[in-house]
Amino acid sequence: MSTADQMPSDVQFEITQRPDFGLLSVQLADGQQIFAEPAAMASMTPNAHMKAGMKGGFKKTLGRMLGGESLIINTFTAQQGAAEVTFAPGTPGDVLHYHLDQNTLLLQRGAFLAYTDGVELTGKWQGAKGFFSGEGLVLLKASGAGDIFFNSYGAILEVDVTDEFIVDTSYIVAFEDTLDYRVTILEGMKVSSKIKSFFFGGEGLVCKFSGQGKIWIQTRAVNPFLSWIYPFRPTKNNN
Amino acid sequence: MQHEIQARPAATVLKVDLEQGESLTCEVGAMIAMSSGMTVETTSRQKGGKGGLMKGLKRMFSGENFFLNHFTAQNPDQSIYLGPTLMGDVIYHPLDNATLIVQGASWLASDPGIEVDASWQGFGKALFSGESMFWVKCSGTGDLFLNSFGAIYEVDVDGQYTVDSGHIVAFEETLQFKIGKAGKSLIGSFLGGEGLVCKFEGQGKLYCQSHNPPSFGKLLGPQLRPR
Repeated sequence: MSTADQMPSDVQFEITQRPDFGLLSVQLADGQQIFAEPAAMASMTPNAHMKAGMKGGFKKTLGRMLGGESLIINTFTAQQGAAEVTFAPGTPGDVLHYHLDQNTLLLQRGAFLAYTDGVELTGKWQGAKGFFSGEGLVLLKASGAGDIFFNSYGAILEVDVTDEFIVDTSYIVAFEDTLDYRVTILEGMKVSSKIKSFFFGGEGLVCKFSGQGKIWIQTRAVNPFLSWIYPFRPTKNNN
Repeated sequence: MQHEIQARPAATVLKVDLEQGESLTCEVGAMIAMSSGMTVETTSRQKGGKGGLMKGLKRMFSGENFFLNHFTAQNPDQSIYLGPTLMGDVIYHPLDNATLIVQGASWLASDPGIEVDASWQGFGKALFSGESMFWVKCSGTGDLFLNSFGAIYEVDVDGQYTVDSGHIVAFEETLQFKIGKAGKSLIGSFLGGEGLVCKFEGQGKLYCQSHNPPSFGKLLGPQLRPR
């Protein structure tokens, strides 16, 4: 399966092995650049040259760091001819392309894979909105004009919100900022059963979206997996 | 109730559409996303016996409880997305006045017309007391959804069939079973990497999973920092 989105793009690319092992190959013309998360590069042709560094100055770098991304963003440039660079995310899952046209996309931490010239990536402080979630406290904000590629753990579902929609905070990959959102406790949990469902339900914290826009959701999440593996950890020796 | 199983077989997700007033009972933590016109209520089932919510509270951290979330559509045209924790598949197995014995972690969701009984002890308590392995007895009529670690394969047992306990997803109650060892001697069985197996007999459907969750946990666990 290859990429199927209908969006324009500034860079020639192909996404293969979807949805379990999404892999992004980017074709760079001579002199063209792409910026990627460290360790995202899987392979490249000899004309591709990598330069590691902080991009966008100290403030933006700090924002990204708060967003759970690395300080460093690697720049890949095609020199002395065209080049191909292949990027792979850290988790088995999907990769999607989105074309920004002077609008804004918000991304969950760890979801950003690569972007082209013209895109600005910064951290976005959520304040009390994300206070309880432990994640989503800071989202990454992608704006400007260009291509951005993001990744997931598991497959990615695209949901067109026209009214209201609820997503468990761990499963949010990205969403358009035309949507309003707030982190909340599930409605019925408060009304019908007071606090109990909040503790027992395991689904206490959700993000409630309203308005119009697209949301991308992943079908697996890292936190539940970590909770699953926890009982298998060795116990501390108290002697 | 309409359903659709998407992104099979590794990143599988279940989408269920509910009409106003319809309910779905789900494994706690399985909800990924949903429409906004739903309410949720949580109840508990004590593993190996009946239990109320207050008893559930006391046992909360001991892993002796099994919690269920009941989602009910308050408005028309509501949808819910459910997914398991591990990489694997989801299957649909409707029950028509029948009973299916399901490995606790493999039960994903069911119609409220199906009674989910976590007190089933057909295999005996001691044998599976570790590793949070327990069994739920699903009986009644309605839709039932199961999930696996890895792929699911179906076996129509007619006669005898042996499965490693960690690879069982579910089986029909029409099957007889007994716990045994894979080899002739107990030591030989353990040295061969095969622990306790379940020997089925008779006629009925059996669902197996390609991967064994406790084996995977035991492979990763020792590499992690002690808790």
